[in-house]
Amino acid sequence: MNVVMRICKKIIPVCLSLAMLASCSDEPRRDTGRIYMPDMTYSRAYETYAVTPEERDALLKKGIHYSNIPVAGTMKRGAIFPFDIMQDAAGDTTNYVASKSVKNPLSGLDDATMTEANRLYLVNCGICHGTKLDGNGPLYRGGDGPFPAKPATLVGDVKYESMPEGQMYYSVTYGKNKMGSYASQLDTRQRWMVIAYIKAKQAAAHPAPASDSTGKKN
Amino acid sequence: MAQDGKALFQSDCASCHNPIKQVTGPALKGVTARVPDQKLLHAWIRNNSAVLASGNKYFNDLYIQFGKTPMNTFPQLTDAEIDAILKYVETYPEPGGGGAKNPNEGPATQTLESDNSLLYGILTLILAVIMLVLLQVNSNLRKLSDDKSGVPSHDPIPFYRNKVYLTFLGLVLFVIGGYYIVQAAIGLGRQQNYQPEQPIFFSHKVHPGTNQISCLYCHGGAWDSKMAGVPSLNVCMNCHAAINDYKGEPLYRANGKEVDATGEIQKLYSYTGYDPKSGKYTEPGKQIEWVKIHNLPDHVYFNHSQHIRAGKVQCQTCHGSITEMNEVKQFSELSMGWCINCHRTTKVNFPDSAGNGNKFYSIYEKFHQNLSTGKMDSVTVENIGGTECQKCHY
Repeated sequence: MNVVMRICKKIIPVCLSLAMLASCSDEPRRDTGRIYMPDMTYSRAYETYAVTPEERDALLKKGIHYSNIPVAGTMKRGAIFPFDIMQDAAGDTTNYVASKSVKNPLSGLDDATMTEANRLYLVNCGICHGTKLDGNGPLYRGGDGPFPAKPATLVGDVKYESMPEGQMYYSVTYGKNKMGSYASQLDTRQRWMVIAYIKAKQAAAHPAPASDSTGKKN
Repeated sequence: MAQDGKALFQSDCASCHNPIKQVTGPALKGVTARVPDQKLLHAWIRNNSAVLASGNKYFNDLYIQFGKTPMNTFPQLTDAEIDAILKYVETYPEPGGGGAKNPNEGPATQTLESDNSLLYGILTLILAVIMLVLLQVNSNLRKLSDDKSGVPSHDPIPFYRNKVYLTFLGLVLFVIGGYYIVQAAIGLGRQQNYQPEQPIFFSHKVHPGTNQISCLYCHGGAWDSKMAGVPSLNVCMNCHAAINDYKGEPLYRANGKEVDATGEIQKLYSYTGYDPKSGKYTEPGKQIEWVKIHNLPDHVYFNHSQHIRAGKVQCQTCHGSITEMNEVKQFSELSMGWCINCHRTTKVNFPDSAGNGNKFYSIYEKFHQNLSTGKMDSVTVENIGGTECQKCHY
């Protein structure tokens, strides 16, 4: 009998605490809870993005080379040759002007590439420049959105319709005015693809852009 | 013809200027007070380089302050047009005046559906007490009747030593305790509904929800690789270099506390070392240590791009209605049973004879034959090996 009593004394508090835990479900769950085997759950290998610069330095001291940045001056096989124009210093426009002469290495995109370029445009550019390339994406919404500057009207503004592809590439790579650099989100080929897509859309909107007199003055 | 200042402003000025915010160029509201000479202001707007060359101190200082970025010239604007633009700029509402908050609006409507289990518990307790009382009454009555009829009675056993009661109690506790212990054991290592507080209150309800930013804008890795990835700070700053305050609906944490969203954007600036006043990075940036929510054990392989691109699974299938989450919580169980269940029931998008569907699956010739002969009506992920151990554990 005493044994039963002793067991009961042990079980009752456990049950009560479990019941209390179960009844707290309205609060947001801020803890991860317990796990069986931490070394099987949390990776002991260095995963993508998991290494901080400090950790990388500590690894280097141990002779382990972990770098998530390609060696300077190297490029992937089959990649498009990198853009060799550097970013201008603040207030300087020499390289921005020089970029006009750079030609798009991609021309005449096939349908599949154009579909992919369309996807890239919608993911990365459409948010400001609009799905119709009218410079009125959901972040601007005709001046009512959160973005305070008007994004460029890519189709319907002579300034951008006549802008050479190299200069567009410069802006996408290094950023221009309040637009940031997209070099971390789009690789070299993808940036040229998006520019080819924009040029194709501009050409489609104006069958003869040279003789277009309805466009806005710059 | 009345000049439309807003339209003119948006077409000619807005790519670099905002009436109340410094963007590429200075905030324009109050410009007529800062430059009282109307003729000079018009001359500046039409051809700023001529004004700079004339040596005007105010404009030359401004030019240096804004990093010598030259302003475009607008020789085509008429006086009436410039006045319309200036009128629009000067009458632009002050910040904070427009989006007045409704003080009556409480925190996100809490679901007031009361849980009945407490009521049932109390009822059960009351019934149990009544049962105990009745049992006592019953035994007392029996004792009385036994006394009357002269049956010798032994000392009554107190209820806490009554074997029947104790066995019953033990059994009930065993069942209840067992239930909770089993539940807790299954829950070990599972983090469903995990909703940690992040170093910066980043609302998915605002970013992909209200502002319709594609998931892949920030989590581009999900398209190309195993990891969806957390964006680096430069991706945040693509927009937040310009967007330095929040004017939308009030935001609340999961525990109902209101969030100072503009303050959260300032936190981002402190991490990036960005000075919103000068628009420059003045201090070295440091990393934001986001708290990882969705964690798969190290011995499980999961690939985002495989699921999104070949499988055409939507983000929301596993991550829930992410566009309604101010604070992200783990929607799915992420248990093995959950994975397998989905692999058993999900039909893969097999290409049909017309060529519609995912051509990735065209290598499964046998299934194509079975489909065309009617032996199978659809192919699930399990059919193409989605429940093999080595698919995810190797």
